[in-house]
Amino acid sequence: MPLWKSTKSPQELVRSLRDALLCLSTMDTQRDSRKIQKASEEVSKTLVTMKNMLYGTPDQDPQSEVMAQLAQEVYNNNILLLLVQTLHRIDFEGKKDVAQIFNNLLRRQIGTRMPTVEYICTNSDILFTLLKGYEHQDIALTCGMMLRECCRHEELARIVLHSDKFYNFFTYVEMSTFDIASDAFSTFKELLTRHKILCADFLEANYDSVFDHYQRLLNSENYVTRRQALKLLGELLLDRHNFTIMTRYISNPDNLKLMMNMLREKSRNIQFEGFHVFKVFVANPNKPRPILEILLRNKDKLVDFLTKFHTDRSEDEQFNDEKAYLIKQIKELKPLDPPVHH
Amino acid sequence: MESNPTDVCYESDHTAESEFNVINYFNDDDSNLFFHRVDSDQIIYQPRQKKAKLFGQYIMGDILGEGSYGKVKECLDSKTLCRRAVKILKKKKLRKIPNGEANVKREIGLLRHLNHQNVIRLYDVLHNEEKQKMYLVVEYCVGGLQDMLDYAPGKKFPIWQAHDYFHQLLRGLEYLHSQSIVHKDIKPGNLLIATNEVVKITDLGVAEVLDIYMTSDICRTSQGSPAFQPPEIANGDEEFSGFKVDIWSSGVTLYNFTTGKYPFEGDNIFRLFENIASGEYTIPNELDSSLAELLRHLLEYNPANRPTIKEIREYSWMRRKHPQNTERVPSPPANDMLDAHHRMSVLPYLEDLHRVESTDDGPSDDDKTSKHHQLAPPSPSVAKKQAVQKSKKSTCRQS
Repeated sequence: MPLWKSTKSPQELVRSLRDALLCLSTMDTQRDSRKIQKASEEVSKTLVTMKNMLYGTPDQDPQSEVMAQLAQEVYNNNILLLLVQTLHRIDFEGKKDVAQIFNNLLRRQIGTRMPTVEYICTNSDILFTLLKGYEHQDIALTCGMMLRECCRHEELARIVLHSDKFYNFFTYVEMSTFDIASDAFSTFKELLTRHKILCADFLEANYDSVFDHYQRLLNSENYVTRRQALKLLGELLLDRHNFTIMTRYISNPDNLKLMMNMLREKSRNIQFEGFHVFKVFVANPNKPRPILEILLRNKDKLVDFLTKFHTDRSEDEQFNDEKAYLIKQIKELKPLDPPVHH
Repeated sequence: MESNPTDVCYESDHTAESEFNVINYFNDDDSNLFFHRVDSDQIIYQPRQKKAKLFGQYIMGDILGEGSYGKVKECLDSKTLCRRAVKILKKKKLRKIPNGEANVKREIGLLRHLNHQNVIRLYDVLHNEEKQKMYLVVEYCVGGLQDMLDYAPGKKFPIWQAHDYFHQLLRGLEYLHSQSIVHKDIKPGNLLIATNEVVKITDLGVAEVLDIYMTSDICRTSQGSPAFQPPEIANGDEEFSGFKVDIWSSGVTLYNFTTGKYPFEGDNIFRLFENIASGEYTIPNELDSSLAELLRHLLEYNPANRPTIKEIREYSWMRRKHPQNTERVPSPPANDMLDAHHRMSVLPYLEDLHRVESTDDGPSDDDKTSKHHQLAPPSPSVAKKQAVQKSKKSTCRQS
């Protein structure tokens, strides 16, 4: 390896990175500004070298032996956690390098094993530090990128889903900075939709707490949150893997009332998304009594409302078919027998 | 625009440029009447074959393929500048196929709602009532896996490539199943490949949508391709699990990817179904044992014993990273085997649209024009125009 002769070995590289990172994280920004400056330069330089080892350069392809050594040193020295913890003190280019190095290592595979994924499984602090990154404007998007890459692996997604910290997402998706909020939302969505069986099991086991929190998103003052949340709700309910969750959701009259209010929202987009959830309640062939009662009580108003609902969508055949079907269903609702009193 | 050369000639008669020629002919009427007839095949060879045709917001390109319903052409969305393919369905042909129209209508309804990277995306549907044609604008793909297999050595993929495609197939299939859709016709011929090696499941013409309020995935009909059908269908069972049909067909597909053969064959559909129903097949010895194990599980006779998608993913053959020690089987070249890079075929048409003299025929282009000159001396205005175009062309070439 003639090219590496003059440069540092992975061991040396990782050691100097660790020292510089520790220096960055412990120094007082006021007093030791010069030392910090030096350490910061060292970190950025080392990150570039590491990135080149992993991705290769125009004149040198990455070498698997060097990569393996580097990865091993990174695990042994807890570099991933350290990098994530000191991310806010690393310069702009350096932050991007961290994300690239992190994601490259995460995809590492030997036979059927994914060593970095296994490593993070036993060092889940990394995940929660990344998650907390959403609270800091300057690192939120970089952390989001790494966290989403983690969530592609079922084992790691499971750890995040099954921790209390998962509920922090309900705050993050409403952050006032738009790009952070939408980044958090895409991670949130990934967590709830990617690994179908894991997600369905999670939603089923934690139905009450998740949908309690979810309700807040649906009632959010933020239009984007409300709309995204409603769209995702529709997707979740109509995913066959979530059959049990759907049946439970559409049996609750409060949820029906909420959707009926969505139909009357000011925003047409929200009305439309609301329609796609509302239809699941109405088309259900086994509507429970409380649902039937609401629909019956509002029968005429609903028929009238739906007839005038988004009439300009004449091109969307499917929507019109569905609307006609719902109107027919509601028109044909039979009055309930009076409840039997004992 | 039609493939037939006489049509090209015919169509070009309607364009402004050839009108010049027509006028020309009238002017020169008395000087030479004969060359009309002599020149007829020359006219066909006129370089102006790429007449830009706009349909809605789409600029049409070359033909990508032909199916039983009609042609598929490349096109460019002039609003988004995205490269697309357009499936042109002739209603006349459609009516001749049993359930043709109904299947297409259903497929459109299904595709409109689907959004997944491994399922073909439908962007737009246009109608031309006059021509009785329907245009489905879909994602652009460079070819189908079946075409690739046909050209591949041994009609199979290297293991690592098969592994990649099978993974993607599972992802798309999992999505379809999550949307309560049973595809029922999974096979290499219904898997397309996009420019970035992404597999797209296509042809939902015989797919079935399950009742979302029912837990079971019971199906009663199947119209999929015989060689990919499971024993329960070959046996003519009244009811069967829909999802497990797709699992079986994926198994046959993987078998085909990796061996170049089919687990069950037969001279006719009855023999074939007999063989499938017997449940007897062999897995070539040279296959890796972990792959053989997966195939045996996918091709379980009893549907209940076939794995779920999640279980398939847990197989060691699936989890393993396979070394890329053999060369990738490429997608077959476009344009009658001439263009391995699948260049955008809309460009020459676009050039025509913007009146830059096209260079589609290369150097021989000049040759033909000069022949044309000899036979029909252009009027001064035409000559001037052509001179301008020529200078434009040369600047184009320089740049």
